[in-house]
Amino acid sequence: MSWPVAVRAALVLELQQLRRQKAFVALTVLAALTFLATMSLFGLTGSELPLAVVDEDQGALAGRFVHALQGVRHAFSVRPMGGDAALAALRSGRVIGAITIPKGFGESVARGDTVALVVRVDNLNTDLTSDLERALPNAIVAFGDGLGLPGLRARLVEKDLVTHGETGFLAYVSVSALGLDALIIAGILGALAMAREWEGRTVKMLRLAPASLGTIVAGKVLAAAGVAALAMLVTTLVVTFGYGIVPALPIGSALAIALCVLSFACMGACLGALLRRTLAIVPFVFGMAMPLYIDCGALEPTRFDGEWIWRLAHLSPLYYATGLLEWTFHGLRVTPEPVWLDAAVLLALAPISATLARIAISRRRDTEHSRQRPRHDEIRDVPA
Amino acid sequence: MMRALWGTARHDLAIWIRSPLAILASLLPALGLGALVAVLTVTIGMQPVALVQEGHGEAADQMGHLLEADSEAYLVQRMSRDDAAGALWQQRVAAVVVIPADFDARVAVADAHLELFLNNIVDVDLADDIRRAVTRSLAELDAPQLGFTGERRSVTGGVLLPNPFRVAIAEELLRETDTGFLAYQMVPILVLIVLSVGVLGTGMMVARDFERHTAKLLLLSPASRVAMVAGKLTGGLLATTALLLPVVGAAVLSGILVPPPGHWPALVGLLFLLVVMSVGLGLLLGLVVRRTRLAAMVGLNAAAYLFFLGGGFSTVAFLPDWIQSASRLVPTSYAIRALRQALFYPDLQGFGHDVAVLAACALAAAALGVLSLGRAWRRA
Repeated sequence: MSWPVAVRAALVLELQQLRRQKAFVALTVLAALTFLATMSLFGLTGSELPLAVVDEDQGALAGRFVHALQGVRHAFSVRPMGGDAALAALRSGRVIGAITIPKGFGESVARGDTVALVVRVDNLNTDLTSDLERALPNAIVAFGDGLGLPGLRARLVEKDLVTHGETGFLAYVSVSALGLDALIIAGILGALAMAREWEGRTVKMLRLAPASLGTIVAGKVLAAAGVAALAMLVTTLVVTFGYGIVPALPIGSALAIALCVLSFACMGACLGALLRRTLAIVPFVFGMAMPLYIDCGALEPTRFDGEWIWRLAHLSPLYYATGLLEWTFHGLRVTPEPVWLDAAVLLALAPISATLARIAISRRRDTEHSRQRPRHDEIRDVPA
Repeated sequence: MMRALWGTARHDLAIWIRSPLAILASLLPALGLGALVAVLTVTIGMQPVALVQEGHGEAADQMGHLLEADSEAYLVQRMSRDDAAGALWQQRVAAVVVIPADFDARVAVADAHLELFLNNIVDVDLADDIRRAVTRSLAELDAPQLGFTGERRSVTGGVLLPNPFRVAIAEELLRETDTGFLAYQMVPILVLIVLSVGVLGTGMMVARDFERHTAKLLLLSPASRVAMVAGKLTGGLLATTALLLPVVGAAVLSGILVPPPGHWPALVGLLFLLVVMSVGLGLLLGLVVRRTRLAAMVGLNAAAYLFFLGGGFSTVAFLPDWIQSASRLVPTSYAIRALRQALFYPDLQGFGHDVAVLAACALAAAALGVLSLGRAWRRA
């Protein structure tokens, strides 16, 4: 049998199998959307801490200070309220802190006196407390600068690497979440395509087929990747229209997603051939996806997290996927390596994984052995 | 009846113990999230910054010292200007702070500049963190009490030092103790473990009975159906508890789970209710999907939504209103809030309300699961 015919036959057969498992495929896509939504929640929590402001002065200078608080970029969601309401909000965990501008604030500042603003802080979570403590002096500096107060000896001059605007945290995270989605969808579908042969005990038939195992694996992976690509279209549309993220390079973004899907489907096939049980594959992919995702530059370039974390990140395929996707969607270079190298690694991982899957299928000895062994990989009956 | 109940429970527990992959299926996603939190703890907060000090007068030295001393915000490395430019390009540092050669001379005439070269090609969150930290260090030059320790010292010292900004901070902390990122986020992971094991584990056990048609055999047994259904519930409870106990033990021994004195009974009661609710939901899940593979997929999705919408990885009160409204409909939000109250707060204010809601959800889930399973078996 010629290889194009064998690939096509394996592809059609796999598509027919997937058609019979619509619920499973739909749940895989739902799982991917779940991760996208949950990462968005994380992105939403990362900025604009709710801060109660009790303005007892109500003067112009107090107003300028409140304005300065609002002006600290992405730091506070300022919520003016009375003293009692602020305390209640603070105690019930609805605000991170409550700042009180005392009566006579304006007069004191105008006189040249220093006024202490009492800030009650819910210091339950040290990370959020640090964010607050870091942002408050920024408001004070902006207040002093804005008034042109004498005695300020130094100012900050910022020179950004790019001046055409920054990428929002949510926009950044949601694009890297696309890589995670591709890993989950394509990985699980690719793995399912292989594991089914062991679960249905049809792997022996594959070996007896008048076609090379490589072509069969290729057909299966292409089918899984095709379905995963359709699923990724849904998640990409959610990101594009739901989150309003317009890819900087539309064609490049589509190609990057296609490459991720193909590469992850091959890796999934390899995993499926090694684990051989769907019940093991699903939690394995879910369980590994999050650590791989976090150590891949999903929240910020990994190299900023330290050398050893950065080196470790190279073991995560999502590192290369994130580098590629952030560049095509936002024009950001988030890996020190060039983008073409990220793409090349993903491209290289595909045939390597597919070859490993083919080798796993051809290992007849293991299958014969596993037939004799009791199977510990499913929920078994207990002997009476 | 009790013998039949206990026999069914023991049977399910035995199957569960002899199914390592099913246990793995339940635990791995939660453990993956735990690993995520651990990695985040290492990576979050401190950014690598290059410091180029070209001026060497008194003010320049002081500025350099202030930047280096803020170990909470930066990992400062001193470099030459060329090396810093290379490090910025290679992403070894996120920003370069330059103290110019004429810094002292300009400070004397109140016209000094600190230069910040920022890699803002990444997301705003990172860029904002650095901007705020550098601005705070700069403010400290003129107003030492605005530094990262000064804000708290101004309260403890009770001394108000005048500063040119004419505004100072007197910080009052609501609590005597605070909680690190790891402990704060690891606690809800406990909830996820209970959810995953309870929902997934029980769901797969029930689905297995339908998949293998063993539900019919159960019906033919001389034991009462009520006893066997209750046995299924008890089996799920025992299995979930058996997996939860070592996790709780490890968390206690490692110092992650340290409730205030007198809060242990509340904590144990809360976890028990959570287990009951998860197992009840698991019964319903297995009943609806009736396939172990689907039970695993639906269970993972359900556990993820229950966890994240419940505030497992975020502070729900800080999220948009519509998410807060959605969160109120999710029973895990009450569980996570009650768990944080029991662990991090000296009192149990609001705990009763949250536990009451959780208890109602647990009872409803368990009762519905048991009743539905009984009916489904009758039709099997």
